[in-house]
Amino acid sequence: MRHLIALLASVIAIVVGLITLLGLLVGDDLGFLSALVDAFRVRSLADVLLQLVMITVGVTILIGILNLLAVHLGRVVGRRRGWVYSLILVLSTLGVFGLTIAERARLVQTSPDSPAPSMVLFETVQVAVESSLAALVLFALVYGGYRLMRRGVTWKGMLFTAVLLVVLLGALPLQGEGLSLIGQVSRWLMAVPVSAGARGILLGIALATVITGVRVLTGQDRSYRE
Amino acid sequence: MNSTVQFVSILILLLVLATYLILTQTIRRRRRALALRPIAAYNMLPLLVGEAIEADRPIHVSIGSSGVGGDNTILTLAAVELAYQVAQRAAIGTSVPMITTNETSTLPLAHGILQRAYGNRDLLERYRANGARWYPSGAQSLAFAAALTTTLGDERVATNVLAGNFGPELALVLDAAHRRRLPSIATSASPEGQAVAYALSDYPLIGEEVFTAGGYLGESASQGAVIATQDVLRGLLILLILIPMLDALTNGALLATLGRLIGAR
Repeated sequence: MRHLIALLASVIAIVVGLITLLGLLVGDDLGFLSALVDAFRVRSLADVLLQLVMITVGVTILIGILNLLAVHLGRVVGRRRGWVYSLILVLSTLGVFGLTIAERARLVQTSPDSPAPSMVLFETVQVAVESSLAALVLFALVYGGYRLMRRGVTWKGMLFTAVLLVVLLGALPLQGEGLSLIGQVSRWLMAVPVSAGARGILLGIALATVITGVRVLTGQDRSYRE
Repeated sequence: MNSTVQFVSILILLLVLATYLILTQTIRRRRRALALRPIAAYNMLPLLVGEAIEADRPIHVSIGSSGVGGDNTILTLAAVELAYQVAQRAAIGTSVPMITTNETSTLPLAHGILQRAYGNRDLLERYRANGARWYPSGAQSLAFAAALTTTLGDERVATNVLAGNFGPELALVLDAAHRRRLPSIATSASPEGQAVAYALSDYPLIGEEVFTAGGYLGESASQGAVIATQDVLRGLLILLILIPMLDALTNGALLATLGRLIGAR
């Protein structure tokens, strides 16, 4: 029975994958393939399948919220380490739910010009907290660069630290002949080697993505094979 | 998309498919045909899982903001495969591995692979649903990163595997792991996250290496063929970049000579 379900899942995945691929990829000028796509209304089918994906992804938000509440209520009930934070999280979640429902039901009155209370809450809490965390990222990065050299002085580490210093110095809004030269070197580094390296990594990822996509289309992926 | 781009895309897909199928069959017949270059992260992973089991502490795998249904769908499947390889090894321990994500669409996948990992070990009774966790994020993933930094301590995590889509906020998680002396394996599909992973993690994976988890840690020939296909196509891609470049440097002499050589035969 388990093998039959796995086989069925593989067949569904392959068929759905091929329909979506053909629907998105094949246009009107590819002769036989275009005629085939038109004859079987593959584009319409692909559109329907993509809409189904969007609906399914929407439903998973509900699953996420239930997961969040279940995990943290479990921590509160079990009095596990840090349970107070979990309690605050659960109460905040329920509070924001209540507030949003009250807004929609027009139980909370605000003037037409002022933003909704849930938006005020979002901007004063979430945005402020995330902004302060963004500032912390800088310190974590600089400390990370320092740690890279502490782990061992290698030519890779030295190159990394040297480039980091040049780019940081080049970004400073200071005047002077030496700093102007550093600025030029920094711009060249960003435009040529850094850009080339990033493109190389992205090309490698794109190549691997196509191969893994083909693996999925041939029914080899574990998600539905087992 | 014009018809030329469509035609070339179909050709690339067919080339990848043919290479993959041929290499799968070759590796199935001769497993030794696949020579893997050592990757520190994959070499260390079984040892780190073993240490976590001995210490009775969970392993944390995070997929970040990779999700199903968007640009990162295939990356998500690759990251989930890595999570499966970790979970399958850690399933014999008493602590359930923890998989975190800030994309709700990945949550069912995370539950699925945890169940499969325990099922394949015939230990399904040890599986706990709270092993897969969703932490919501705001406009950026900073709130998610902050949640992970506290989770490392609260859950007494033994090792971190961060594979998926992360931005510079990855620095916060890796810094917290370092302060707690926890080893980390990290990678990201975004260049910013990748740079942070390289500088701050103990065992970084670079670029497409995350897609090879099944080949390095699994047993099947089809997973090994992914690595071999990547190598073959990478070689082809390098040639496709180098030939026009060398031709331009020699003012068209390279392709003209090649053309003459082929014509002479």
